[in-house]
Amino acid sequence: MIQKQVRCPKCKKIITLSGSCGETIQVTCPICGTRGKVVFDKIDKTSTEENKRNYIINTNNLTKKFGKLIAVDTLNLSIEEGEIYGLLGPNGSGKTTTIKMLCGLLRPTSGLVKVFNQKIPNKNIMQEIGYMPQETAVYLDNTVHENLFLFGELYGMKHDKIIEAEKSILKFTDLYNRRDELVSNLSGGMKHRLSLACALIHNPRILFLDEPTVGVDPELRETFWQYFNIISKKGNTILITTHYMDEASHCSRVGFLRHGKLIAEDKPDILKKITNKDSLEDAFLTLTREGI
Amino acid sequence: MNLHRIFAFTRRILLQFRHDRRTLAFVLIIPLLMMLIFGYTFGGEPKGLQIGVVNLDKKIVIINENNLSFASLIIDNLDTETFDIKYYSNFNKAEDDLQTSKIWAVFYFPANFSNNLLTRFSTDQNQDISSQIFLNLDGTNPNVDTTVVKELQNALKKTNDQIRNIFSLPSHPDAITITNSYVYTNAEDVRFIDYFAPGVICFAIMMVTIIITILIFINERRQGTLQRLLTSPASETEIVLGYALAFAIIGIIQCIVILLTAILIFGITIIGNVFLALIVVILLAIGHQGLGILLSSGAKNELQAVQFIPLIIFPAILLSGLFWPVESIPSFLQPLSYIIPLKYGIDAERAIMLKGWGIGEIWLEIVVLIIFAILTLSLSVILLKKRK
Repeated sequence: MIQKQVRCPKCKKIITLSGSCGETIQVTCPICGTRGKVVFDKIDKTSTEENKRNYIINTNNLTKKFGKLIAVDTLNLSIEEGEIYGLLGPNGSGKTTTIKMLCGLLRPTSGLVKVFNQKIPNKNIMQEIGYMPQETAVYLDNTVHENLFLFGELYGMKHDKIIEAEKSILKFTDLYNRRDELVSNLSGGMKHRLSLACALIHNPRILFLDEPTVGVDPELRETFWQYFNIISKKGNTILITTHYMDEASHCSRVGFLRHGKLIAEDKPDILKKITNKDSLEDAFLTLTREGI
Repeated sequence: MNLHRIFAFTRRILLQFRHDRRTLAFVLIIPLLMMLIFGYTFGGEPKGLQIGVVNLDKKIVIINENNLSFASLIIDNLDTETFDIKYYSNFNKAEDDLQTSKIWAVFYFPANFSNNLLTRFSTDQNQDISSQIFLNLDGTNPNVDTTVVKELQNALKKTNDQIRNIFSLPSHPDAITITNSYVYTNAEDVRFIDYFAPGVICFAIMMVTIIITILIFINERRQGTLQRLLTSPASETEIVLGYALAFAIIGIIQCIVILLTAILIFGITIIGNVFLALIVVILLAIGHQGLGILLSSGAKNELQAVQFIPLIIFPAILLSGLFWPVESIPSFLQPLSYIIPLKYGIDAERAIMLKGWGIGEIWLEIVVLIIFAILTLSLSVILLKKRK
């Protein structure tokens, strides 16, 4: 347990808190009622600093139950613009459920999702979101071009804009000379790249990528991470789920998810540091044991 | 609602059909095959039917310098392609052959046949005297029975005309109307294939639309493309309408294929408005497309989906009036017929194509089909909007 003092950004009252290492807790100021979030990461960070940041994705006590199973448990996420946020956890930890609630595909049992300060689901916000589902969600009996064209049109793009965007995305994903090929004739890796291309065609400000690297060979995984870095450098925000812990070192921030609960959240290096481990995988296991 | 998005969906599906040759073949060849198979098995008029003729007609009249009886004139006019005529000298012998299924029917002309007819000509309007042909039928094959009766009628009509010419009695046309005496009056020359073609069109479109929609939507769900569509700015209504439009277009193409087959190969004639016939097909396709989306949500994979097909197809075949008029279905099953949309489609198409009826007469069927389409499409939208 660590003790930590934070100053309320509004009434300047100093609040003393205690929590375990890596834990994120919600704080309500006893004087003025201002809410904030405190992360116990040894390095003292005040809630004042936190509030200055531009969070474009926020969840508030997000909970999803399937019958008796609690898939996501009072999850509070805040993701900054331009971040690559990795949601890490083993299979069944609630990653996909979370991402589906973020895109409005699943309705939360309780709690709230806000993107650009708008409650989800909201069709207007969808314009800004690119979603790549876990499945290779492309039409197999259409060509590469037809797939991209469909999604371009669905996002209200003009035909010449689609063609322009298509050209650069196909070059980016190395599918340029496969443009008119039927998707069913492409290799698995190419289908994956096309799936990413479909999520990128309308140049979304936020990308939700649900396990984009599952079943992808190491070489393509490396390529994918290069793509993600380039996209992020342009100022786009990426939320990515994965259960490959080693990949998460590419992220600017990671959250460890276990049984639907966020057990730790910080920069990969800091998580390794506070657990005294060399790899994120060990860090995760250490934090899991502490949690028990 | 954004038309561009709706068209984007429609175009994608149509392009998919263009690439996926096998599905395209299913969509186009199944209706064609159904028309051909149904057409040849049910529609072809029976030919070379063995029938027996017992001609005991005594009275001989002089026609064109030939001595003939009216009965033999009628017999001569029987279509030799349809009938293989066997002559009997007495009725009992013919009846024996009919009983033992050697022949399909016996035409029996009694001794007073021509005599009665002549009396009727001379004593105008005499209802008491009539010339009768006794027709005994095998009765086991309705198609054969109808053909026999119809061909006899044709022969009577021909004979009637000949007699009009020979006796040249334009002032007393009633006196030589033989048909009055023979009761079998079915003025319309509707062949079974004519009756059948509108039903095949509706049935083929219903079947293909349901099967393809179910399979396409199961794929949409399983491949994750549906999730992608739902996270795009496109609304659920736009998705459903995009699909509806695609299947309406496919329905029209199918209808044209079937109609061309029916017209070119089976020589059916369409009396009514072809555009009205196409509108019925469009409504039928759209409604069943919606039904397909609804059913697809009840199946997790293709295997489960295929199990729906007999559940939908068999009641439709048996209860929609495709083969038998709804009135001939046992009364406790009849209410089921009225909840099968295909019935209204078939009724409307038959009315348009065979009777030449217009919107004024078939508005009820059209309204039912519109309600069916609106209902299934709205439910599909609601279904897609529903989030767990």
